[in-house]
Amino acid sequence: MKSPQPFHVAIALASLLSTQAVADESLDVGAAAGFKEMVAPFLESYCLDCHDEDTQKGNVSLEGLSDVSVENASLWKRIWEQVALKEMPPRKQANQPPLMERWELSTWITDELTAVMKDKGGFIDHLRPSKGNHLDHDLLFGPLPPNLEPASTPARIWRIHPQEQLVRLNELVCLKRKYDPERPGLWTHGDHIPSNLEGETKVYFGLDGYLGSFNDAYNFGVSGFQSSLSMIRDHGLRNYSFLYTINSAESLQIAGIAEKVLRFMAYGPAAEPYQFADDIEQVSGEYRGLNIIFYKNGIYRPLTPVYELMQTPGVSDERLKEVITFLFESLTLRPPSEAETAIYLEIANKSIKELGKDEGVFVGLVPIFLDRDALFRPELCEDGQPDQYGRVPLQGDELALAINAAFSYIRPENDHLRTALAEGKLKTREDVKREVTRILNDDSIRKPRILQFFREFFDYDRAATICKTRESIEGQGAHYESHPAVMGSMIANTDGLIELILREDKEVLKELLTTNRVIYQPYTSVRVARGMTTDIAYFINRKKTFEPIKVYNPEWVKKGEEEKEQHEVTNGNQLHHILPNPAQPIYVRQSQFDNGIFPPAKDALKAITTVDTRERLGILTHPIWLIAHSDAMENHAISRGRWIRERLLGDAVPDIPVTVDAKLPEEPESTLRQRMRVTRKEECWRCHQKMDPLALPFEMYNHLGMLRDSDKGQPVDATGEIILSGDPSLDGPVQDPLEMIHKLAASERVKQVFVRHVFRFWMGRNEILNDAPILQDADKAYRESNGSMKALLTSLLTSDAFLYRKVKN
Amino acid sequence: MLHGMATGVGALLGTSLFPDLAQGADAPVIKIAGAPKRVIFFLQNHGFDPLTCIPKELKESCALSGLTLAEPMKALEPYKNRMHIITGLHGRHTNPGHSAYFGALGAYRGGTGVPPSAATIDYVLSQALPQTILPPLCIGMESLDSMRARPTVATLSAAGPNQPIFMHCDPTMLYQLLFGSIAEGAIRQHYEARSQVMLEIERVAQLKGKGLPLSEGERYGRYVSGFRDLNGLNEKLSKISTQLKKFAPKLDDRYTNPQFETDWHDALLDLGIAALQANLTNVLTIASGCGEYFGSWKGLGITETGHGLGHIDQPGNSIWTKIRQYNCEMLVKLMKALEATPEGAGSMMDNTLIVYSSNNAEKQHSEGATWPFVLLGNAGGRFKTGQYTHIKERPINDLYATFLHGVGSPVDRFNMDNNMATLHHSRKGPIEELLA
Repeated sequence: MKSPQPFHVAIALASLLSTQAVADESLDVGAAAGFKEMVAPFLESYCLDCHDEDTQKGNVSLEGLSDVSVENASLWKRIWEQVALKEMPPRKQANQPPLMERWELSTWITDELTAVMKDKGGFIDHLRPSKGNHLDHDLLFGPLPPNLEPASTPARIWRIHPQEQLVRLNELVCLKRKYDPERPGLWTHGDHIPSNLEGETKVYFGLDGYLGSFNDAYNFGVSGFQSSLSMIRDHGLRNYSFLYTINSAESLQIAGIAEKVLRFMAYGPAAEPYQFADDIEQVSGEYRGLNIIFYKNGIYRPLTPVYELMQTPGVSDERLKEVITFLFESLTLRPPSEAETAIYLEIANKSIKELGKDEGVFVGLVPIFLDRDALFRPELCEDGQPDQYGRVPLQGDELALAINAAFSYIRPENDHLRTALAEGKLKTREDVKREVTRILNDDSIRKPRILQFFREFFDYDRAATICKTRESIEGQGAHYESHPAVMGSMIANTDGLIELILREDKEVLKELLTTNRVIYQPYTSVRVARGMTTDIAYFINRKKTFEPIKVYNPEWVKKGEEEKEQHEVTNGNQLHHILPNPAQPIYVRQSQFDNGIFPPAKDALKAITTVDTRERLGILTHPIWLIAHSDAMENHAISRGRWIRERLLGDAVPDIPVTVDAKLPEEPESTLRQRMRVTRKEECWRCHQKMDPLALPFEMYNHLGMLRDSDKGQPVDATGEIILSGDPSLDGPVQDPLEMIHKLAASERVKQVFVRHVFRFWMGRNEILNDAPILQDADKAYRESNGSMKALLTSLLTSDAFLYRKVKN
Repeated sequence: MLHGMATGVGALLGTSLFPDLAQGADAPVIKIAGAPKRVIFFLQNHGFDPLTCIPKELKESCALSGLTLAEPMKALEPYKNRMHIITGLHGRHTNPGHSAYFGALGAYRGGTGVPPSAATIDYVLSQALPQTILPPLCIGMESLDSMRARPTVATLSAAGPNQPIFMHCDPTMLYQLLFGSIAEGAIRQHYEARSQVMLEIERVAQLKGKGLPLSEGERYGRYVSGFRDLNGLNEKLSKISTQLKKFAPKLDDRYTNPQFETDWHDALLDLGIAALQANLTNVLTIASGCGEYFGSWKGLGITETGHGLGHIDQPGNSIWTKIRQYNCEMLVKLMKALEATPEGAGSMMDNTLIVYSSNNAEKQHSEGATWPFVLLGNAGGRFKTGQYTHIKERPINDLYATFLHGVGSPVDRFNMDNNMATLHHSRKGPIEELLA
């Protein structure tokens, strides 16, 4: 059977299948090796001793198992995971298959499952981000197999990220915030759209003209929209190219938003005359009780060709073409072809004829927002000549857009990529390296994609989605109503810390895992003047007395002295019992609003200080990561253990069988460690040994990430163990999470696993065996540059996997 | 423009707003009375505590006559003889917590961000019942802010693995979608112009799909087919304008200028009723709280909103009594509307089954140990009524299998394989106590 996998894996088989006639040095393993030649002998050699009709260990018999079918698909899927992850044959068994044989069987199974399940809901598990580690680490970083076909990525269209969509639409309705090198953390033109204090990520109409509001209007009255594109909300990498298309509901929503955006571009906020004033104090009392916001008099939005069109009487093809070109470039980041312009001109003219200019323009321009290239970035290489492996290099606009998209959601102010393209200087690998280096070294070019990688790698932004009960929050001394805002604050702080470490660009992963620095909000707002309502409360050592935090109240401060006052509050809140070192101001991106009751965007002053490294060490010990890996009322050992197993050790745990009733006993008086004794049963422990001992050291913190020395009236036991890491020097017991993190951060294998994740994020797919040389080169670049993220990205973005698209199998 | 929206869970491989629309009938099929023709699901979020639907002292199965319904359910008192209260089913395997999401109607493991792993019971029933244009129609009720921000969302219903069905939350958009073709004046003119633009978008989208690699072509094809479905729907609706005119609700201030979110909830219910009466759909799924764990009912005088509502113990609580009473008033409105609509020798209600429950068992942070249901109507005499039945330790899958038996599409089990069946005490075939 021909492999239906999008990634063609080719390798010489002579050493694996001695009975197979190898006509070509390079051929498809999954395709050539059939059940009889390869699978049946594998089962015979390694499985049937325990899983024949007589033995049926674990009630599983593989005797008589035939080729993959719909009926036995679930069993084959289990076999795939067990074999790929070296769960089977049992580790104690001496007769173990070589890694290449495991890989060969795994590939055959996933190929077959893909084929037989095609019309039965499909099988794409092996392509999902969570299954990336099913390709054994040692195969990628060990000796390279002979005759490995050079790497490439399938030709594809890649649906844009929800943030990408929002940032581009925001460009149409919001004035540009200039980059300020003194305050690099502030929300700047091109950055991702920050979440509001309710955790929603929205583009707002009329943000630049926002004057003020009363009551709850600040939160609810501002007109805006969220992204209409769906996104995985689970742990891990979320934006592989194959994962998404756009359904009819999403399309309809985009159409609806497009009309609103066009109307705003033409006329500004949809508001009543009484909502415009020069000063909020001028607003009449009768309007103050309404749940509405007020705008500044005047025009505060980008003035675009859409504005010009609607300001000028009549309509001409020439003016419409200007509008079409402007919108098309803004939404696809490339100029339209003549044919594209003609199509959209015809549609707009028809609509104007039908409805008149005032309505027809807005309806008739909507299709540009739904153009394929406004929603999917093409990497199709339609014009190139394939090489002997069926690969074509990315060229022209597709190459420029791919490089740009590796970092940004919009085109930068001075688009050097387009200039290089026009001058014929964007053709070779060296050209790409030059441009990648230039972008990486220019801080004014915002790179939200890099930050997005770290959000998905660490999952810390998921903390905002973890629902906590009032009892569970107040039971730990925190403030229930403020908790969502605190989560938003902590996410922004962590963004800021990561960007700071990226600017330093030294041993990036190690620093993230072991830094003693934290960013926090040093003052509270006027509405929530209680110390426990701020993020720093979560860093508190519960063993020590907590002192009230000094409050910063913007209403008490004279104009022009805000920063001085904020500094004083910051210094006054050094909280020596929690944070032993003086704090320094740092600007962190948290809000889009320039005014309002919460820390405003233009002055998002926070503080950075250091913590006691006997208590905290790096992001994994920050409350934000601990909360992101907790549940409503307690720590989540599985989630934490899995994270370390997958993101740092490059291993995985098979999917939980449907027959497992995975529940811990309800014992209010027992600690989590005590309740997890149930996972010690033989059938559970095979998987749980990979998670529990890595997770239980974090019992040093409660489920809000606060330090504790006792739990359920018993002293906290923070011991654990690293086992089956694949690196014997890593394996062994640890006293607490700090010791474990130190060990992990020093490991070469952990760095390599990090490199694998960086590869996946930027290539938009799981790595395959052909990518091994690229991963090894990237690892070398990272190592030899003392852990530079820039060096790592430069290596990957100039690799064949990034630059070549496979157009033919 | 025909509006709509999709965010949230599971739409990994984009699916239609109206699954299998292409297989839908060109015109409504009018059947004779006396056979199951439609099913309505009404799921309230934050759980359904059994103590809010049965008197505390009641432990055993019995007839409902002579008993007084619990305060939250009092609006249904006159309908006791057409009612069946069921307790004792479980959904532990659905991982309910805040919500079992697709697992609530799919009776399989669900969760935040987890795509559907199989078709849900509302969709399966819609395929088994006499065909209509929209199988099924799903509506979701939330806070005004949320409904505006997410006019459609997919959390509960699915046509198959990775194929979520989106629910409509904005009544103005749903009105335009279902009844725009029969509107008059400016609304009609806009509807026509926008429909034309949608056809153009489909044409351009199709054009740009040519020459894509096979796998990418399939993925992009779903984008294109979404437009085809929508444009096809417009065409089908335009053919039944008489039917639509007869049942279209009045487009009043509640749609365009709602005071509270409950104005929109009521408008959505009206649209759902009209869609049933016009035979546009054979299954209506109503999600109060949109299958998630937020929600708002300020129109009932309830100031608390969102997630915190779920942390309140429901029995005896005035907030939850109000919400439950509001649900029941909606159910009464539904039944009255269907009773007033002739069908065959009787009324539409004669051929209808209404299923009232929750998307996360008995409470928020539920483990799914008990999952109450209230059935109303007998779907052409197929289901037993006037009864309270306590079932000992069977999964909700068995109830869903019973529904399929009731509508004449019997299955051994629903979304439950043999391995799981033993573990979860599932038995083959229907729950006999429920069938007439």
